[in-house]
Amino acid sequence: MPHRRMGFFLIPLVALSLLLAACGDIGNEKIPGSENYPATNANGEVMIDHLDFGAFGGGSNPQVNYNPFSPNVLSSAYIFEPLMVMDNYSCQLHPWLATASNWQDPQTLQFTIRDGVKWNDGQPFSADDVVYTFNLTKKVPAFDSTGVWQALDSVSNQGNIVTFKFKEPSSQMLSKVAAQLIVPKHVWETVDDPVKFTNDKAVGTGPYMPTSFNGRLLVLGINQNYWQVDKLRVNQLVFHRTEGGSSVDQLNLAQGKYDTNAMFIPNIQSVFVDKDPDHNFYWFPPGGAISLGFNLTKAPFNDVEFRKAMSYAIDRDAIANKAEYGYVKTASQTGLVLPGQKDWLDPSIQNQGMIGYDPKQAAAILEKAGYKKNGSGQLTGKDGQPIEINFEVQNGYTDWIQAAQIIQQNLRALGITVNVTTPAAENVESDRANGRFDLVYDVHGGSCNMYDNYFLPLSSKQSAEIGKPAASNFIRWQDPNTDKLIDQLRSATSEEDQKPIVYQLQKIMMDQLPTVPLWYGGVWFQYTTNRATGWPNADNPYAKPTDNLLIITSLKPSPDYKPPQ
Amino acid sequence: MRYFIRRFLFFLLTLWAAVTLNFLIPRMQPGDPAQAIVSKLTGQNAAVDPAQLAAVRSMLGTPNGNFFQQYLDYLGNLLTLNFGLSYSYYPYSVLHMVGQALLWTVLLVGVTQIIGFVVGTLLGTYAAWKRNSFVDTILSVGLSFVGTLPFFWIALLLLFIFSFVLGWLPAAGGYGETAVPGFTWQYIGDILYHSILPAVAILITAPIGWVLGMRNNMIQTLREDYTRLAQAKGLKPWKVAVFYSARNAILPNVTGFAISLGGILGGVVLVETVFDYPGMGRLLFEAVGNKDYPLMQALFLFTTVGVLIANLIADVLYGFLDPRVRKGAQA
Repeated sequence: MPHRRMGFFLIPLVALSLLLAACGDIGNEKIPGSENYPATNANGEVMIDHLDFGAFGGGSNPQVNYNPFSPNVLSSAYIFEPLMVMDNYSCQLHPWLATASNWQDPQTLQFTIRDGVKWNDGQPFSADDVVYTFNLTKKVPAFDSTGVWQALDSVSNQGNIVTFKFKEPSSQMLSKVAAQLIVPKHVWETVDDPVKFTNDKAVGTGPYMPTSFNGRLLVLGINQNYWQVDKLRVNQLVFHRTEGGSSVDQLNLAQGKYDTNAMFIPNIQSVFVDKDPDHNFYWFPPGGAISLGFNLTKAPFNDVEFRKAMSYAIDRDAIANKAEYGYVKTASQTGLVLPGQKDWLDPSIQNQGMIGYDPKQAAAILEKAGYKKNGSGQLTGKDGQPIEINFEVQNGYTDWIQAAQIIQQNLRALGITVNVTTPAAENVESDRANGRFDLVYDVHGGSCNMYDNYFLPLSSKQSAEIGKPAASNFIRWQDPNTDKLIDQLRSATSEEDQKPIVYQLQKIMMDQLPTVPLWYGGVWFQYTTNRATGWPNADNPYAKPTDNLLIITSLKPSPDYKPPQ
Repeated sequence: MRYFIRRFLFFLLTLWAAVTLNFLIPRMQPGDPAQAIVSKLTGQNAAVDPAQLAAVRSMLGTPNGNFFQQYLDYLGNLLTLNFGLSYSYYPYSVLHMVGQALLWTVLLVGVTQIIGFVVGTLLGTYAAWKRNSFVDTILSVGLSFVGTLPFFWIALLLLFIFSFVLGWLPAAGGYGETAVPGFTWQYIGDILYHSILPAVAILITAPIGWVLGMRNNMIQTLREDYTRLAQAKGLKPWKVAVFYSARNAILPNVTGFAISLGGILGGVVLVETVFDYPGMGRLLFEAVGNKDYPLMQALFLFTTVGVLIANLIADVLYGFLDPRVRKGAQA
């Protein structure tokens, strides 16, 4: 009977698949809309028909939403542009919609707006749009996702010069103001409720604009009005609705369906690179540092000698190689992301602030500081009780949990008991915010905003009493000297003035170890050179893989590129 | 009549309890929807910016009034089907999202459940009538075996064979990537083409419960005196089977079927997740993960109300199918 039923289904199944083979999924064939684009640009150079970028945002039942201020936006990176684009790898600002920026004084920032830029509907772009955008984020607090208006007092323009007046010295705001995506005044001023605006027409200055979307496939087509259209060598960008990083998605990547992607894959060498070693590559540059976040209101964590011992006690290489597949690098105690931010590193710090695994040194520091072992080999605190640390790790963060087990073994060797528990992420976040923990993972720094890298984790302003939620200083580091340096940083408008202050903050990290950075979280990035070359990589790290505008304006057709038939 | 009134009053009471629980449970859960949205955007390996958290909180807004006022507002909104705006699809409304997903699920799961029930019940009847025959052995032993296989395993096996190895059928989605939605034969054909694998996956397992249930019930009723009397009267065997044994044996299956139809509104999470099908089950799965309380609340409510209404219908049907139930209530 089951056989008969199987046969019953097989007949229509074969028939239908033959009939509808044309309605399949995108492979290396032309995509809808290809016919609208010429195969060469105005200079006669070959244009790539399309590149496949993998998943788009927007959930399982994606809806049209091109509001760049919305967290649920389908796509905004190629449609809208900021005043300046940050190369988040080496922390350089590139002029974009603005040609230059300049601090008149620590409270007055000026941008010179580029001439000749047009919106993708043909209207001219001007400084009015910039002023309008910032005033919009003031009127609608939900749009101020970087908190610019916490410091900003007013925005105005004279001709193509836009002036930002701040309430107090605010040099840290440069990168945030520069990163704001600019929207057209002539579209948005007619919108009644901008928060609920889905911006279906997607008028922006960016290199691409949406041309088709059916819930499963999003296609962005080249903006022929683009102000640097000669740098674009790709006609269309294709995005799919997939479960990013799922096994199906990994299979698609391995089969060469995507030109680039950003997913975590175990054993990337055999799963991806070996499938086509001439074209498949990956680069995992370092992101924010995953650090030991001790609750500094409790003993023994409030003792700097104890924390110093911890920094020697952890086998960071074992974590990087075992828990993280060797994809990541161990982190510097300075709080910087190295080697990208090496220009900011205090040259007097030895070995770039990298602390090696040295359990003997750790034991010696503990002994010297008065921590003794009891009869059963347990390390005791100054109150004579055995030291026991409860370590909460977010459930489902499997690599972090594996790393926690390595930490547990490392500390057991010193006679310290670590109890690793894995509650749901929201419970860990709640305990962490309210200070109800011994030890959690703290993500330290990782941005190009040096102020934020030290202010967020270490400023007393971001802390709170135990039982009240802290904004970002979860470990409750309270140090007047740190606060003073962070304040000074706001008044230093040039890198030359900022560096000595950042050096001193690095010194605090090195000497007092408020957190103990362990490894840099990986930024996952895979690419193939079947159709395009010019991707950033370790040899040419001109951008972080998330710096979409810098990358798309650097891509060129690969010598192996064949136009789809 | 009193039986039907009592059933209806009981339905109202359960409905109120379900609606109230649906209000309370999300409010007792830990976690913060804004945090969930921002954490997802930021990723595991970067620090969350408190300013972004504040912006998202401002977008989602906070509920007005005290707890009791919120409860009254909630009941009022239910009557007007106003479930508010989804968090994870903001600014789209919950009703818009449910409206998009509902049709997919009703078509896929509804059709396959009905086919599964009819086929299953008929097979069960046949197996019981020819009990201990070769067909019965194959059906009851074979299906018991297939029934123990995990559903997702069957689904993945189908995916592997027909999608990856043979390449006959699409692996995911409710329609093709190049499809142009609209009321065209091409689009409808595309939808049918994409529904084959999920439908087959459901149909392999769906009838099993009905077959076994029906067979076991009917073996009971075949031993009853009224069946023997019918046979003794010299009625045709198929009449005895259908109108005497099967009619009495089908009662538990009808209740079960009604409840399973109500459950369709909740979708089949597993099928829809494996085949990436844009229905209610996947929407629910995602809403829970994203702490999208308004969407979650509406989906749970639809499921509960669906099951309750289906139950009520089953009770009413029962009254017609089995006169003893009505009599018992009147006595």
